[in-house]
Amino acid sequence: MKKTRLFITALCVAAVSAASCEEWDPVFTGKYEMPEKVKPVEKTANTTIAELKQMYIDNGNKPVEITGDVMIAGQVISSDRSGNIYRELYIQDETGAIDVKIGKSSLYSDYHLGQWVYVDCNGLMIGSYSGMPQLGVEDETGEYETAYIDAQYIIDTHIFRGEIGKMPEPQEISENDLPRAISQGGFKSPLFGKLVKMNGLTYGAKSSYSTDHYKRIFALLYIDPSKDKGAQSNRIFLSDKTYGVTTWAMSKSKFLENLNAGLFDSARTGDGRAIDAEIKQSLRDNAAAVTMSQYFSFGTTDVQIRTSGFSKFCDNEIDPLILGDPSSSQADGAPVSVTGILTIYNGSAQFTLIDETGVKIINQ
Amino acid sequence: MIRKVTLALVASLVSMTLLAQTGGVKGTVLNRVDRTPVTNAELTLFQGAQEIATAKTDESGNFLIERLEDGIYDLVVKASEFLETRVNVTVNDGYVKNMFNITLTQSRSEIMDEIFEEFDMDDSGYNDNPVILFDQNDVFNSVAGYNFSSVRFNPRGYSSESQDVLLAGVKMNDAITGYSPFSLWSGLNEATRTKYTVTGSEVSDYGLGGYNGLTNIPANASNVRKGLRGSVLTNSALYRLRLMMTYSSGMNDKGWAYAVSASARLGGNDWIDGVYYRSFGYYASVEKKFNDVHRLAATFMATPGSRGAQNASTQEVYDLMGDNMYNSNWGYQNGKIRNSRIRKTHEPIAILKYDYTPNDKFKASATLLYRFGKNGYTAIDWYDAQDPRPDYYRNLPSYFWMENRDFGRRNMFKYAAAKEAWTHSSLYPEMTHVNWERLYDVNRNNLEGVAGIPRSKYISEERRVDQRDLNFAGSFKWNTNSWLTLSGGLNAKINRTENYKIVDDLLGGYYFVDIDSFAEREYASAAAKVQNDLDYYLAHGEARRLYKGDKFGYDYYAQIRNIEAWLNGRFAVGNFSADLGGKIGYSSFWREGLVRKGLFPGLKPDGTDYIIDGVNLSRDSEGNLLPTSYGKSEVKGFLTYAGKLGLNYMIGGRMRIYGNVGFFNDAPNFNMAFMSPRTRNTTVDNLTTTKTFTSDLNWQFTGNGFNARITGYYTYIWDQTDVMSAFDDMQNAFSNFALSGIDERHYGIEVGFKVPTPVPNLSIQGVVSAGRYEYTSNPTMVQTIDNSAEPVEYGGFTTLLIPFWKSTPIFKRDGSGNPTYEIDHYQRHYIPSTPQLATSLGLSYNYNYWYIDGDVEYFDGAYLDMNPLYRTDYATGGPDGIVTPTEVEYMTTQEKFDAAWLVNFSIGKSWYIQRKYQLGFSLNAKNILNNKNVKTGGYEQTRIVDNTVGNERYYRFDPKYFYMSGVNYMLNVYFRF
Repeated sequence: MKKTRLFITALCVAAVSAASCEEWDPVFTGKYEMPEKVKPVEKTANTTIAELKQMYIDNGNKPVEITGDVMIAGQVISSDRSGNIYRELYIQDETGAIDVKIGKSSLYSDYHLGQWVYVDCNGLMIGSYSGMPQLGVEDETGEYETAYIDAQYIIDTHIFRGEIGKMPEPQEISENDLPRAISQGGFKSPLFGKLVKMNGLTYGAKSSYSTDHYKRIFALLYIDPSKDKGAQSNRIFLSDKTYGVTTWAMSKSKFLENLNAGLFDSARTGDGRAIDAEIKQSLRDNAAAVTMSQYFSFGTTDVQIRTSGFSKFCDNEIDPLILGDPSSSQADGAPVSVTGILTIYNGSAQFTLIDETGVKIINQ
Repeated sequence: MIRKVTLALVASLVSMTLLAQTGGVKGTVLNRVDRTPVTNAELTLFQGAQEIATAKTDESGNFLIERLEDGIYDLVVKASEFLETRVNVTVNDGYVKNMFNITLTQSRSEIMDEIFEEFDMDDSGYNDNPVILFDQNDVFNSVAGYNFSSVRFNPRGYSSESQDVLLAGVKMNDAITGYSPFSLWSGLNEATRTKYTVTGSEVSDYGLGGYNGLTNIPANASNVRKGLRGSVLTNSALYRLRLMMTYSSGMNDKGWAYAVSASARLGGNDWIDGVYYRSFGYYASVEKKFNDVHRLAATFMATPGSRGAQNASTQEVYDLMGDNMYNSNWGYQNGKIRNSRIRKTHEPIAILKYDYTPNDKFKASATLLYRFGKNGYTAIDWYDAQDPRPDYYRNLPSYFWMENRDFGRRNMFKYAAAKEAWTHSSLYPEMTHVNWERLYDVNRNNLEGVAGIPRSKYISEERRVDQRDLNFAGSFKWNTNSWLTLSGGLNAKINRTENYKIVDDLLGGYYFVDIDSFAEREYASAAAKVQNDLDYYLAHGEARRLYKGDKFGYDYYAQIRNIEAWLNGRFAVGNFSADLGGKIGYSSFWREGLVRKGLFPGLKPDGTDYIIDGVNLSRDSEGNLLPTSYGKSEVKGFLTYAGKLGLNYMIGGRMRIYGNVGFFNDAPNFNMAFMSPRTRNTTVDNLTTTKTFTSDLNWQFTGNGFNARITGYYTYIWDQTDVMSAFDDMQNAFSNFALSGIDERHYGIEVGFKVPTPVPNLSIQGVVSAGRYEYTSNPTMVQTIDNSAEPVEYGGFTTLLIPFWKSTPIFKRDGSGNPTYEIDHYQRHYIPSTPQLATSLGLSYNYNYWYIDGDVEYFDGAYLDMNPLYRTDYATGGPDGIVTPTEVEYMTTQEKFDAAWLVNFSIGKSWYIQRKYQLGFSLNAKNILNNKNVKTGGYEQTRIVDNTVGNERYYRFDPKYFYMSGVNYMLNVYFRF
């Protein structure tokens, strides 16, 4: 009997001790302590953004895969909070600015306005998107000069977050600065990608090859986005007039509202077909947010203020004072001051608002 | 001996003249392994098929049945956790026949309810709630219930909802989903050990039941084994430690009995990180027997606690991690594992039960049961931030590079980088597990809301499903005469379940906002439309700020009312008996919205539209009135009814042949009736009852250590509905899919046997379950976009046939092996997750208080759960709309899991100490071949890769799987006295 008791006792002890054995990862079920605050990274840049962009020029205006110890530093000047900038981060130093194609959404959660960001460029690629300098990774399909970085491992090993500093003041540029910058191009001019302020923009732009209308928008609709997007029969350009659209862009619901109101009935497909009931139904079935440009003039230079259909202010009405008389063929709207990111697209100036507060009527 | 006899419980006799009723039968029921008495064993005395008397054993295992006339009888002995046995008894010359010891064979080891606890499927709409084979008296169920549990075997392919589980006579299946509610008492094994179970469509004394068995757990004090029992259990697959202590007084001379029990289940396991238990159990019951006629019992019990859940992942993730047990729910916080998905429950049950037994021929009972408390499930919620799930598809290597160029994923650099992280998880835990530190960092630094006060972008939310469930159940059994026994009852339920979310943890921030982030994607500039609480917004001009403990998101009652009456007549003549029964009832339910959502506000109290900032919230873009989120929905009511016929023929006392047929007309469950109950009152169109026809034929032999059953069954279920919600890439929106007209057929055989071998004390045992559980219809689907409630139009129609639901056409091949347009045959689609073939063969050895069992098992024919979207013409047509054989076969085929071999082994022994105490242990080792590649379930994601290079076809997202853990053990050491 003694043996039996001993055996049972041993079993009990074994069971209890097995249940508390150190080799088993103990499970914590108490109150978790808050993690320590993440410390800002301290690094030193050895290359300016201008020098980085120069590499592209030095390579015969072709994309360059950066090798070796190339570290840039810049302050964050963009925020995707309003949804108007998406998957991209603009940083600038004293010499210029660059669009870092991080490729993640809600970047403003991690990269704050004014925050210093260090980019180890080794292995990354600098390239152009229709003239606008971008820092990403190689696009192995060859379709674009760079691809989004978006693999977290690459982001974490190349992009480092430093101290949150004071947000840089926007650089004021004059009517004369803009044509000069455009002529220099995205890689030579320090202005593109930078936070700038332009005073005196007016609504409307000089006539183009496609229209005589002074006031106009630009939007591209696909009748069926699942079909060939390159086919003219599948495209509708809303580019020759305003079509009565007085918002910065169109959310899906706004687009449907405008479509159902007949605003686009006079448009044509890329191959000249009128918008009939069948096309309209397809547009309705495939409705999506519409990213759009509103044309403005800065002196003699056209500036497209381009706004995402997913931005929180896309459906906001542009102040009628800014728009002036819709049928007028001259700049009769109130001049505005705009603050945001200046970009270039095929030799034309584009402007991206960080949020709607970037537009102000002058002297109001 | 006299004392023992006086302690014997009541015996009843029917249809005999008193003058001749002088004989009887007595004896003691013992456990065959350790010779311990079996208390509360049920003894039923038959003459042919006619039930003559019933009795129960007392605390010493003794029984006595008196007032029998001379004759030959069959005594059937049943007890929880033992196989049923039958013995012949001859009573002559008016003597009480002493049977001495009747030994029962223990059925398989204790089933751990916890292995069935639901998988974390909240995000997918997928549910895989299992069926537990409670019936341990039956040889098939005893072996299959234990051996097959690890592969999530569902007998006959039936779903959990079809199994009736009763507590003190009250049906406890979840009022919303119909699932078995075992988690309400798992961990209170001793207190709920006594169970009365019938299999298939047999009729129970406690209810007419359905077609998948009925189990009643009495749970009152007198049904808990007398004495003090304690056990220490450790196992490697669920939790480290279970401690349990139970005391039952037994019924004392004054007619009082009480029982108490407490338990704790604690710790993690060897296989799945983040899964743990911190659960407790408490139970108290007191019972008063006023005389032989009246008995009243009050019971209170609950299993409060929390447990960490696991999640399914794609095979790509498992392969990268080199571990099919990878769980994406957890991450490190300050070096400690923190699981984001925690089930937190405390749902007490209070029971008052009254039994009335005026005479031997009539007994009745009435139960009032109330279930209340809270049931929560945490999850990370985020607003205006990146998806924090580590295995989100954009974080995986396959998002960057795929061999198939049509995916357009050709970036090897990014692929290699992602792979580097995933294959070196220990170096990069922040990328392969939940990155808690980043979530805190993001929250702390989000100062762009109220100046200087960080607004949380990520929080831990707790999704609450709090039930208030009041039940009444009354039943009776009346032996009217020698050939007819009537049983019947009345059940009623009032259930009000509140569904809402609360802020569980702000994760370093100070507040959160009550905004619908899905709505904001579409209505970013319409602030009123994205409000979860529009009334608050209108009153305060901003979204509600949320702090810890605040309700948010949605809040509604599911209101359910059921009433049902049932009656069964058992006719017995000679060796033949028949059951004929039916039930009729009425079920109704409705939704009652408690907050007004901006997307679906309904009309103002004065009947006008909500027009805020120029946006008409009450109507869609075409002016149609939108459904409402607030107030009471339409009441859906259903007449339910069922009928059953059972025939039973006894051959020689130990053999019986019996069969059953039944028809059931059941109401749909609440969760199948509302399109999107979190947002609005919309119900599924053409909602109807589910119909079931079932039949079975059985042969059973019991006695002399032999147990065997062979069953053939056929069941047809039609007019089922289902609702699932998921993101639809084709619509680029979160959608709800309502399926109607799902029909299925279940047929097959079950074989179970346990027979002695020529080697003393050695038995051979085995089971075979071979069936076909298949879909037989192509249902229709209505899809609505969650943000607008607008039915999606396919070719101008809102109701869409799913042409490839029940089968996939397999096309003939040309000379090059490419499919032609000529169909070769159809490949059926099956009820998912459970194996269609499950077999087990083993040996069982019992000697001198030792038992040793070993089994080899084989499983085949388990299938992946399907989603309807892949089986539409639109998914198979692709962007170009042309349906090709290649696309049909690729998109609609149902995945079959690989067959699996498993080996289990058990050993145990008990010791009697000073003839007073019993000590023992059992050690069960499962899957000792350490097979880690056995899929036990999974589901197809609803998502589609729609941006293909060729623009001709779509691709599926990878499915997600659950795997069985490798070798695992359970060691239980117990003592009793």
